[in-house]
Amino acid sequence: MLKWGKKLLFFLFYLFLLSVLVFVISRLSPGDPLVSYYGERAEKMDAQEREWAENRLGLRDPIPVQYVRWLENALQGDFGISYKYKMDAAEVIRGRIGNTLLLGGSGFLLIFFLALWLGVFCAWYEGRWVDRAICSLGTVTSCIPEFWLSLVFILIFAVNLKWLPSSGAYSVGKAEDVGDRLWHLILPLSIVVMTHLWYYAYMIRNKLLEEVRADYVLLAKSKGLKRSKVMVKHCLRNVMPSYFSIMAIAVPHILGGTYIVETVFSYPGIGTLSYESARYKDYNLLMLLCILSGALVLLCNLAAQAINERIDPRLKAGEFLKEPGVEDEGRGV
Amino acid sequence: MNEEILLDVKHLSHVFSLSKKVRIQAVDDVSFQIRRGEIVGLVGESGSGKSTVARCVMNVYRPKEGEIFYKGINLCDRKEFREHKRMLQSKRQFIFQDSDSALNQRMKVWEIIAEPMKIQHVTPPRGTLRAEAEFQMHLVGLDAGYLDKYPPELSGGQRQRVAIARALAMEPELLVADEPIASLDVSIQAQIVNLFKQLQRQHGFSILFIAHDLAMVEFLCDRVGVMHHGKLVEMAPVKELFEAPRHPYTRSLISAIPIPDPKRERARKTGKEMDKEWMDA
Amino acid sequence: MPGLLEVNHLSISFFTPRGEVEAVRDVSFSLNAGEVLAVVGESGCGKSVLCKGIMKLLPPIARIKSGSICINGTDITGYGERDMQRLRGKLFSMVFQDPMSVLNPTMTIGAQIGEAVKVHQPRIAKKELTEKVIGFMELVGIDKPEERMKMYPHQFSGGMRQRSVMATALAGNPKILFADEPTTALDVTIQAQILDLLRDVQKKLGTATVFVSHDLGVVARVADRVAVMYAGKIVETGTVEEVYYDPRHPYTWGLMRALPAFSKGQDYLYAIPGMLPTLIDPPKGDAFACRNEYALAIDYREEPPLFPITDTHYAATWLLDKRAPRITAPVRRWKDE
Repeated sequence: MLKWGKKLLFFLFYLFLLSVLVFVISRLSPGDPLVSYYGERAEKMDAQEREWAENRLGLRDPIPVQYVRWLENALQGDFGISYKYKMDAAEVIRGRIGNTLLLGGSGFLLIFFLALWLGVFCAWYEGRWVDRAICSLGTVTSCIPEFWLSLVFILIFAVNLKWLPSSGAYSVGKAEDVGDRLWHLILPLSIVVMTHLWYYAYMIRNKLLEEVRADYVLLAKSKGLKRSKVMVKHCLRNVMPSYFSIMAIAVPHILGGTYIVETVFSYPGIGTLSYESARYKDYNLLMLLCILSGALVLLCNLAAQAINERIDPRLKAGEFLKEPGVEDEGRGV
Repeated sequence: MNEEILLDVKHLSHVFSLSKKVRIQAVDDVSFQIRRGEIVGLVGESGSGKSTVARCVMNVYRPKEGEIFYKGINLCDRKEFREHKRMLQSKRQFIFQDSDSALNQRMKVWEIIAEPMKIQHVTPPRGTLRAEAEFQMHLVGLDAGYLDKYPPELSGGQRQRVAIARALAMEPELLVADEPIASLDVSIQAQIVNLFKQLQRQHGFSILFIAHDLAMVEFLCDRVGVMHHGKLVEMAPVKELFEAPRHPYTRSLISAIPIPDPKRERARKTGKEMDKEWMDA
Repeated sequence: MPGLLEVNHLSISFFTPRGEVEAVRDVSFSLNAGEVLAVVGESGCGKSVLCKGIMKLLPPIARIKSGSICINGTDITGYGERDMQRLRGKLFSMVFQDPMSVLNPTMTIGAQIGEAVKVHQPRIAKKELTEKVIGFMELVGIDKPEERMKMYPHQFSGGMRQRSVMATALAGNPKILFADEPTTALDVTIQAQILDLLRDVQKKLGTATVFVSHDLGVVARVADRVAVMYAGKIVETGTVEEVYYDPRHPYTWGLMRALPAFSKGQDYLYAIPGMLPTLIDPPKGDAFACRNEYALAIDYREEPPLFPITDTHYAATWLLDKRAPRITAPVRRWKDE
């Protein structure tokens, strides 16, 4: 219990650190937040008007003062308004996070399991033609830019074949229809999966092949275990900790990194939002997005750590270093 | 043998703290001296702290307690160590057990041997670094054909020769060898032990030789210390130690040396009985 | 009566990009039930490959080129992976050199031993399995097995790990146990314990054992018969007394003389000059000729056959030919003392 309390403390500390960093960097980087609030009008403002506007948004104060004010409000659950959307930043995100969770989340799960399966498959047929074919195909697909592949897919499946819709998260007036939403999900989802899948599958494959050559496989085999059992029960088990760690970092990568796909498919999600907020200095929105994704990374890492400790007992702190033989050996064990 | 004391270890203790609760007393109040030109063996099972002693002597670990003097310089004193750092780092050389991982796999043999000279900016007495490496390799019994090979192309014995050549290139006064023969075949062990003996006679350096096998130590060393659970339980000239071992643990170590004679070996007490004997004692 | 394991003219090669490595060349031996055969030689002589080759645990680049392996009169040379899986564990099993790397670090010791039991009794009840695992742990001398079976390999000492490996190897009640340098990575005192354990267990269960080692001193403690291997060939074989008290091959002499026990009181240890030849293109004639101080001219031209000395003692050296000069073995015999 104490351990988890400590972890929670660190979690909060890291979030705080992140918020300071993002806050300072975003204020120091060039750009005009007034543009995102007043639109084109900001460019025509004279000095007095600007001063008034900046005062109104509280941008004239020194950065530490601004930060403390932001932190005070944030601790009470008020993350300020989005300059562009003129509404609560949390509200803006709430409207879109569902879509992203659907796209990114289902994409992540698909990638997670497909990569596992594909990696094991390739390792099983190591060096045979299936493995070689998948390896070359995978390398090619992971090199194709997302936007280009998206356009090609739209051209083929939406324009020429007219099987699938080309944009949006749902058809007009069918926002509540689950089937329709899934229907719209197919194209962007397949792009997300296709462009990310091979990276992880290849990692699994290579790690597995390393494990297959390890000495403990010899003992497992000499016990009379089947090859499939050795592969899954021994090798895959030892690969899983590093896979979990990588996938934990990949969560925000896949979830938030879908913004190109979201843009091409005009899919209303977080990805486009974070890009916009950084580009147009929508400070409050940007802060909230960063903190959310930061919290996500930290949570995923914690989860991966907890799972890995269960799988690989050596990772438990303290025991890791325990020099064997100190207590046992020599006393005639 | 010279009477000058080269290395003086005084009441050395070292503790590894693994966490706040778990602490391991690796070395417990160990004192010994090495005179110039002397070969001292340190024997014990794994976990007995003999490697930790070697590493403290080489300034890899900072001992928790005690002092180590090398030619009167206190190695545990940061300031004194810094003042003599260059001399200390070239005159004391370390040879590892696992020559496989101790040599950089992506460096050629001559580069490995010449590297310490390059780092310490020593002008090679034989012109170029490569010529110097060739000379040192000749000393350890490797011909020039190996100059451009990489460690993985060599056998275990050859790699250990390269490691010795690298140490010799700095003309050390003290060689600390941490189980240099443990991972070699018996027939190769004999070659390396002979090499140590021969090189010691030619160069006159001192050796701290760490091993878990008493049989080879008997051949090489002038004096032998036996370590057990971090303590130096016995230290004596080699002949004395083998003829009249005082500590029961030393006795059990000596009797564990395999004898290449099936009848005698079969008639011997089993390991368990031996252990019981010394635990009772 | 055919032996339990009959190996006839077995040759195994590795087909590497640099050429064919002839690791095992024309090796024949037999092993009877309940017997301990020691295979001795320097590393790289093919002794380990021989064992793994018989169990078909070698990587795919290795192939059995010729010869046959018969177990209980059945030829298993051509068996595929599936057939071998059925034999491994039950018929033969193996103990390896480095007990740390052959145990899976992420599984408890109990689970790893249990796995070996389960292979042959897939429907075993959980309670019975635990009992069996505890039984095997007791057999190999692990104290407090109930507690220790829940521990992981990194919590064990080297000797305990090797005991655990032995328990997994014995869990299928194999007829033949291959022990590939089981004590090389261990301390001398632990080595003695493991050797005694091996001998004990072997007597108790009657498991025939092939014991591979580079150390003649170790072998004396456990072996009934000894085969000395050099450059992929068996150069001398005989009962342990024959080989130790009356060695005939110059390589066996060399191995004996290299032991510190034989050089007691001398200034330098004896070391066999030179090194193993590469097996990519083995030299013509006797592979040992260039390191052999007693080499005859014919050694460089023609390979010596195995000359019989007694019914059980054979050595492959031209020194045993009628026309060869008589040479007394340069090995001091312990018996004489």
